[in-house]
Amino acid sequence: MREAIGMEALKTKGRKIWLVVAVMMGVQMLWAGWAISNKDANDLVQGWLFFLYQFPMLNCIIMPVIAAVVASRLCEVEHKGQTFKLLETIVPANRIFDAKFIWGSIYMFGAALGQVAIMIGMGLMLHFGGPVPWGALGGYLFFTLAVSLTIYAFQQVVSMLFANQMVPMTLGLVGGFIGLFSMFFPQGFQKFILWSYYGVLMQIGMNWDQNTRAIDFYWTAIDWSGFVLLFVFFGLIYGIGRILFVRREV
Amino acid sequence: MSNVIETAGLSKEYGNVYRVKDVDLLVPEGAIYGFLGPNGAGKSTTLKMVLGLAKPTAGEISVFGKRVNSKNRLENLKNVGSLIESPSYYGHLTGAENLQIFQTLRGVPKNNIDEVLKIVRLDNQKHKKVSQYSLGMKQRLGLASALLGYPKLLILDEPTNGLDPAGIQEMRELIQSLPQKFGMTVVVSSHLLSEIDQLATRVGIIREGELVYQDSLMKLHQYSQQHLAVRTMNNEVTKSFLSQNGVAWEAQDDYLIIPQMKDSMMAEISKVLGQNNIGLVRIEERKKSLEDIFLELTGTAVSL
Ligand SMILES: Nc1ncnc2c1ncn2[C@@H]1O[C@H](COP(=O)(O)OP(=O)(O)OP(=O)(O)O)[C@@H](O)[C@H]1O
Ligand SMILES: [Mg+2]
Repeated sequence: MREAIGMEALKTKGRKIWLVVAVMMGVQMLWAGWAISNKDANDLVQGWLFFLYQFPMLNCIIMPVIAAVVASRLCEVEHKGQTFKLLETIVPANRIFDAKFIWGSIYMFGAALGQVAIMIGMGLMLHFGGPVPWGALGGYLFFTLAVSLTIYAFQQVVSMLFANQMVPMTLGLVGGFIGLFSMFFPQGFQKFILWSYYGVLMQIGMNWDQNTRAIDFYWTAIDWSGFVLLFVFFGLIYGIGRILFVRREV
Repeated sequence: MSNVIETAGLSKEYGNVYRVKDVDLLVPEGAIYGFLGPNGAGKSTTLKMVLGLAKPTAGEISVFGKRVNSKNRLENLKNVGSLIESPSYYGHLTGAENLQIFQTLRGVPKNNIDEVLKIVRLDNQKHKKVSQYSLGMKQRLGLASALLGYPKLLILDEPTNGLDPAGIQEMRELIQSLPQKFGMTVVVSSHLLSEIDQLATRVGIIREGELVYQDSLMKLHQYSQQHLAVRTMNNEVTKSFLSQNGVAWEAQDDYLIIPQMKDSMMAEISKVLGQNNIGLVRIEERKKSLEDIFLELTGTAVSL
């Protein structure tokens, strides 16, 4: 398995996959900067809560795009060079699948970690109220990663099964937009859509007072039932996807 | 001599049509087995099943005398190198890096990379990206990948695909040297009889999924023995006369094709025909070419 993962690393040589992650992080940072720029000192007291609310929202579209591009970059070289028919005479197909997933998840981890770094950096720079909420940021990292890896698993399955990478890219984008709009759906409904789990597993709620037009953020309880459901999603996607890949004839 | 590959009733169905049907492949150890058949005959499909890349609809496969199942498949394949249909490669990596991937996954010595690159004469191009390789170079890289572990069995599906005449010649010589040099058994598929003719020791010919011939190349050559073609003023009477005397015949246009025979025997026949007032007007010697036999066996023209 170690060799298989190491070879995934070699295959990414010159593929500029980290650049994709970096560009998306740049977008996220610009957006965060823009969102925070029209806040006054009063709002900044709730700065951490604001970020922990807004980042998951944006992730609904940012992370699926990263997952789609990374999975596609990792898999298209195999389709292009028709390598599966050689690899599968050397390495068990399920190990090929696992190694790719592990390697791809490093990028998702990098992206999630990058977001936390952006939040901390901007928070300290702009003197958000209160100490750095390490616990909540850790929770954010954990849940963001959990959702992102599930979405990544989905993207990898589609990228491995379809030689034409337009299929996974389109599905990834459509999923991201559905996730974004699912914020306006009822809670119960959201839980059926994989891409809306950034919202489902959010630690912050928001009140908007119609009269005063004031926005107030508050801590909410973590939706553990949602987390369990996400775990089921992951198991199904990974399990079924891997079986489909192994059974596929090349 | 034992068989390196042995299949029994190997069949593959694609969408209700048997593309490979009841194939009993026998590849003896040390042979260069030429697997011949026109386009779409089922060569690649058969070889893929041997490699476990496609699941047989029916039948059994033994490699190195061991019945292949999904559990022991990869263990068995450790001693098998393959190149199926077209070479597998990562275009954005160099030739050496490509081989490094397969060498690492196979767990064979790193030195093998340079050795096989020399064997296929790519050592001067090993630091070039494979996407910039010519088709022939890619093909040779594919062969290098197959050779990496110095396998006991090498399965090459149309290895001369895309090669120029010089490349074909080179590939042929290379393949020919493998059994003696490394003790390999080689299966080479092709739709060109001429290619196999100069290469193989044993031939299997597949047609529409069915193995129509499998034996030594020598036997195949015996089919191309000479025949006699005779024409008489009355072929109908001649036919019954031949049958009465135990001479096999076959009508072909205005001629009767009979086996090659001693002069004295032919003289006897002509004499008896004369006595019966049947004028013998032509006696010709004919030779079936190997191509004719291939055509007969496969029912299609040999494609170039
Ligand atoms: N995955 C598949 N699905 C459906 N039909 C297939 C599939 N693979 C092969 N076939 C069919 O099986 C038949 C045999 O194909 P195969 O590739 O084995 O032929 P071949 O002898 O290798 O021909 P060629 O000389 O052109 O390579 C063809 O009719 C082909 O259309
Ligand atoms: Mg073929």
